[in-house]
Amino acid sequence: MPNEEIEFSRIKEVESTNLARDDIRNEVIETKKAVEKDNNLLADKVHQNLLENNIKSFDIVGAIGAGKTALLEKIAEKLTPKYRILVICGDITTRVDADRIGKHNVDTIQINTGRECALNAYHVHQIIKNKDLKNYDIIFIENVGNLICPSEFVLGTDKRITVVSITEGEWVIEKHPMLFKMSDIAVINKIDLKERLGTNVEKMIADAKNFNPEIEVITTSAKTGENIDKLMELLGF
Amino acid sequence: MKEALTLIEENIVTPKKIELSNIQELMGTFFAKLKNRVDNYIGDYPTFIEPVYLEDNVKIGDDVLLGPNVYIGANSEIADYVEISNTIIYENVKIGENFKLENCIVAKNSSFNFTDLNVKNSLLMGVANLKTELEIYGL
Repeated sequence: MPNEEIEFSRIKEVESTNLARDDIRNEVIETKKAVEKDNNLLADKVHQNLLENNIKSFDIVGAIGAGKTALLEKIAEKLTPKYRILVICGDITTRVDADRIGKHNVDTIQINTGRECALNAYHVHQIIKNKDLKNYDIIFIENVGNLICPSEFVLGTDKRITVVSITEGEWVIEKHPMLFKMSDIAVINKIDLKERLGTNVEKMIADAKNFNPEIEVITTSAKTGENIDKLMELLGF
Repeated sequence: MKEALTLIEENIVTPKKIELSNIQELMGTFFAKLKNRVDNYIGDYPTFIEPVYLEDNVKIGDDVLLGPNVYIGANSEIADYVEISNTIIYENVKIGENFKLENCIVAKNSSFNFTDLNVKNSLLMGVANLKTELEIYGL
């Protein structure tokens, strides 16, 4: 590949307009716009398909170690006696999370995103169109663990849940406004460690509400089960 | 798994006699039982949507998306920017850059030495150095 092509390929990859040379700036901008538009169209298609099949859907985002999988395990325990559940797990590599959740009588599909740092609507659409949706009542999508990239892509679910833990520090919400602006529920997990860590949880709640007055904020402990029932209520169960 | 692959392969040996419903049904049955095996490839970090089964010595290029429902036979090579779903690729196959294959079968020892192809519901076979030389049949 000639050097120029390599450079252009790299620029498209990082999708950063200010890295583009003047002569390809327009093309980079048009590409970015097209990608965003296509993702939104596909997300709408996914959502419509899920609604037509009476499936409730949630995507869960959060940093690695915040407790997304642990919370999903607790939720699955409570829901599987009544509902048929599919969990789509996103990770750079491995199927560790899918194996954990799969022990709770739910179907799992792992997406290994390789070098991509978030799931997008195309990934979800590829799964949805190959599954018999009549076999499911609820779909959970656990995104790749980080608080930045997932804010670029909506996935077409009913609600987005962002999970942070108090071990990430009281500034974690303040530092990630985009994700909280586009989330419906903010879960502040590992609340059982509050006394020991002395994290200012009230500030975290206030930050989330400040970015998004409509957001529901809940503190939980996946370890002790604290407020899991309240979280279930917020999910509509 | 080997038996199902052989059965499908027998159906593609004389492509003009393909019974469409038969091969689609065979593929559906094969994919329904397909396991995941993606820890043995040679290459960078592609995207995998389960299930994807890679035989030994499969080479995968950059920015590749495989799955769901993809089987790739031994010693096959997948170039950069390729996307494949619901497809069986037999052994010793070479897939060119920026190929997009959906619901396809690629016969063994096929080699496609050109770039940019987007096909669905097709059987591909033979050696092609240009797009016009491609041997392709509807499934």
